[in-house]
Amino acid sequence: MAISSVDKYARQKSLEILREKFALVAKRILEGKKPVLVMPKRVLSNTIYDMNKKLLLLGPEMKRRSLLDVNEARKFMQTLLMASIIYEALVNDEYPTIRDLYYRGKHTISYRDISGKLHHENTWDEQRESDAVIRDIEVFLGVLREEMLILSKEKGKVVGNLIIKSGDDVIDLSRMGHGAYAIEPTPDLIEFKDIDAEFVLVVEKDAVFQQLHRYGFWKKYKAILITSAGQPDRATRRFVRRLSEELKLPIYILTDADPYGWYIYSVFKIGSITLSYESERLATPNAKFIGVSMTDIFGEEEAAKNINKLASIFGKEIKEVISKPKKKAYLSEKERRNYIIKAKKKDVERAVELIGYDVADKLIRNPEIKKYIRQKKLGVSGYPWFRTPEWIKEISIFFSKLAKLEIEAMASKGLKFLADTYIPTKIETGDWID
Amino acid sequence: MGVMSAAAPAERYRAISPAEFFYKYREIAGFSNPARALYQAVREFVENALDATDSHGILPNIKIIIEKADENREFYRVTVEDNGIGLPPHVVPEAFGRVLFSSKYILRQTRGMFGLGAKVAILYGQMTTGRPVEVITSQPNLRRIYYFKLRIDINKNEPIIIERGSWRKNRDWHGTIVSMTLEGDWSRAKQRIKDYILRTAVVTPYANIVFMTPDGEIYYYERVIDKLPRPPKEVKPHPYGVDLELMKRIRDGGSFSTVKEMLMKSFQGIGKVTASSLLEIAGISPDLSPKSLSDRQLLELVNAMKNYKRFRAPTSEALSPLGEEVIKAGLKRIYEPEFVEAVTRKPSAYQGHPFIVEVGIAFGGKVPLSSDKYPTLLRYANKIPLLYDEGSDVSTAVVKEDISWDQYLVKLPAPIIVLVHICSTKVPFKGVGKESIADVKEIRNEIKLAIQEVARRLRVYLSKKLKEEEKKKRVVSLAKYVPEIVRALTIILGDGQGVKAELLEEKLVEIVSLRTGIPKDEVHNVVKSVEIGV
Repeated sequence: MAISSVDKYARQKSLEILREKFALVAKRILEGKKPVLVMPKRVLSNTIYDMNKKLLLLGPEMKRRSLLDVNEARKFMQTLLMASIIYEALVNDEYPTIRDLYYRGKHTISYRDISGKLHHENTWDEQRESDAVIRDIEVFLGVLREEMLILSKEKGKVVGNLIIKSGDDVIDLSRMGHGAYAIEPTPDLIEFKDIDAEFVLVVEKDAVFQQLHRYGFWKKYKAILITSAGQPDRATRRFVRRLSEELKLPIYILTDADPYGWYIYSVFKIGSITLSYESERLATPNAKFIGVSMTDIFGEEEAAKNINKLASIFGKEIKEVISKPKKKAYLSEKERRNYIIKAKKKDVERAVELIGYDVADKLIRNPEIKKYIRQKKLGVSGYPWFRTPEWIKEISIFFSKLAKLEIEAMASKGLKFLADTYIPTKIETGDWID
Repeated sequence: MGVMSAAAPAERYRAISPAEFFYKYREIAGFSNPARALYQAVREFVENALDATDSHGILPNIKIIIEKADENREFYRVTVEDNGIGLPPHVVPEAFGRVLFSSKYILRQTRGMFGLGAKVAILYGQMTTGRPVEVITSQPNLRRIYYFKLRIDINKNEPIIIERGSWRKNRDWHGTIVSMTLEGDWSRAKQRIKDYILRTAVVTPYANIVFMTPDGEIYYYERVIDKLPRPPKEVKPHPYGVDLELMKRIRDGGSFSTVKEMLMKSFQGIGKVTASSLLEIAGISPDLSPKSLSDRQLLELVNAMKNYKRFRAPTSEALSPLGEEVIKAGLKRIYEPEFVEAVTRKPSAYQGHPFIVEVGIAFGGKVPLSSDKYPTLLRYANKIPLLYDEGSDVSTAVVKEDISWDQYLVKLPAPIIVLVHICSTKVPFKGVGKESIADVKEIRNEIKLAIQEVARRLRVYLSKKLKEEEKKKRVVSLAKYVPEIVRALTIILGDGQGVKAELLEEKLVEIVSLRTGIPKDEVHNVVKSVEIGV
């Protein structure tokens, strides 16, 4: 098998860092010092929203994982075990998936306690455990798993007027038939050869992606069409980021009109909490939320009704964004009745996590839901990046209507409507949230 | 009378001898069936043997032999030998051949109360096998050893001497060997008898005890301590413990010129002043002759004594507690526990009877696992083990109801034994079996306090042990990962390039040992026990 030079270089670099970092660990041990691994803390409390960069970043807090701490000893062992497996894979020119790594490292440690009783313990039990250790190694080494040639299942797909080089093959993404190109786990090894597109449309739903693809949306509007098929994986995020950064294309994100859709957008734009150490590389700060927005469903008048309640929390400034309703709803009263779905308790809870309890408490009218949220979410402050006037407007309608909508509903109104009216109008009029 | 006898049915009354009485009512003394009889006979002779030694300051050497005495029938020959004070030869026939002859009428703590048991055993043996009892005895100051072969004449309550003899001592031996044959049931009695001897051995660490069974087994409990319990002294009765019967016996038995003198000389804690005020309360003139007192007057006197508030507490000189050292040595000898402690409480009294409670606790080692309700209980009354009726004993109530064991870090079931010894001039037994002690408030309270005191020391020990174990557990939870860590590091850094696996392991063991305070070789043992699977 011919190994591409890109891979070779990545391997060499990762091996060097591994050796260097763990030589220090060994040195400490030989000097009789406490064996510790010092790494950034990967927890919510150490995740910082950088207002200037508009990114979720890993904070400055470090944790010292010590072998001598009973609560950390197992993790210490797991980290070293995982490092040794990754090391071997790198040396042997392999491309393990995270699942491979889980199986390679999973074995029993048998030992006897002081009274001589035999015990058996697995190095790890579930893949969740070994996945967490991989993330620890990434932050400990400051090397991403893609750079260590660790693969994961492909999830994201792309079509459009784009020619890339992957490995030693040149691929034309406009010649994929009804299928699409699966975004590979190491998108950094992709080379952009040629492009003829004006923007990128990322669709949350795979089904809607396929409909737009078959409809010829990307040809007609000179778009690169991408789907993340739900929560975006690292490869899809990195690929979108490269399109934005290297090809300077505007990025539009189309999701369901519900709290999960909003969060998917925010993951693309500013990063996620569990992977905040990668935001600098994965997030696309220019990404725009094109829809489906609550005002598209209910019109801006609906938001205006909430204006005084919101002003009591956020002050008069909020009125400037909301006070003058310009936009009419895209859906008629009858269509709304047919397409919207009643929000479930879980949806409402998630929305409160995003925007904060105070907004929910002011706007929810349904007494039963209001009481439920009070029991569950009292005092939740919300994520700062959602507490902007535009999102407050969006989510306030969600609370007062307790309704959500899936993108498919827009397609049900007519695929033509979605492809030729809704999306183009939104882009042309600049009707998005940034 | 004449009228009475005319109306009464024509029944014939005749006196029966005590020997005949016990022969007929042998169940009372515990000889209800062959199994129980064999057990009871062993008990009676062993207890006599111990009384003949430790109560007289002699370190006991006791030998118990049970052997099959007939090929066809279930006859067993029981021989018990001691190195005690022996008996004067002229009292031997009476001591073994007449019921109610005993040296045990005085008021002091002894194992058997009236020496009755041994004679009932002999009667039982004679009745079931027809074979006589043999006794060999000598006293320390005598030059000869005496031998008797006896039978009891049941009707006359008299000993019949079948054979007697004596020979010169050619070594300095003293003691008694009793040998008798009875119908028994060894297979059903053996567990009880073994238990009884084991439990006796627990409280007699100062005794050498050899026990040979019909199965050819030999149990040997070797002396581990030279200290004897304080021997009991004879004391006069305390006025609180008096009743009309005792008063009558004192009146009839003594030769006192006045009632006042009788009171002063017959009881503890009564001097001139107390005697005078008692008689005044009872309305009896102090100068009367005791013989002239009516039963009614005696009853007045008894009541006056019972209600008098200012007596001193009864003396405990008559009591012979085992002592903390003996209890600890005894528990150690049998159970080799990791923890053992004991306490002897100060004397106390109930209804005019002095008593002392002693408690020992053994934990771990060869101590068997208890039930999950309460610790294994070893009960003793006046140094005698109590084997039956545990459920109704006051000690059982205390360990079950008054003590919450988890408070003392004991998680039941646990390898724990609680020994409770109650000694008193009058142990409040429940029922005729004398196998359990009644729930007397004063005694229950003393048992509780004693157990609490020892259990507190157990808690200190256990909490220390727990901490130590915690520490060791911690070491295991670290050390078990050492081989995996060494393996991983040598893969990454390459064995031979300055990083030797052995050296890394050695250093890690050193670090873990240093930081946890557990010795290096213990850490090493854990590391060496580790096997990494595939």
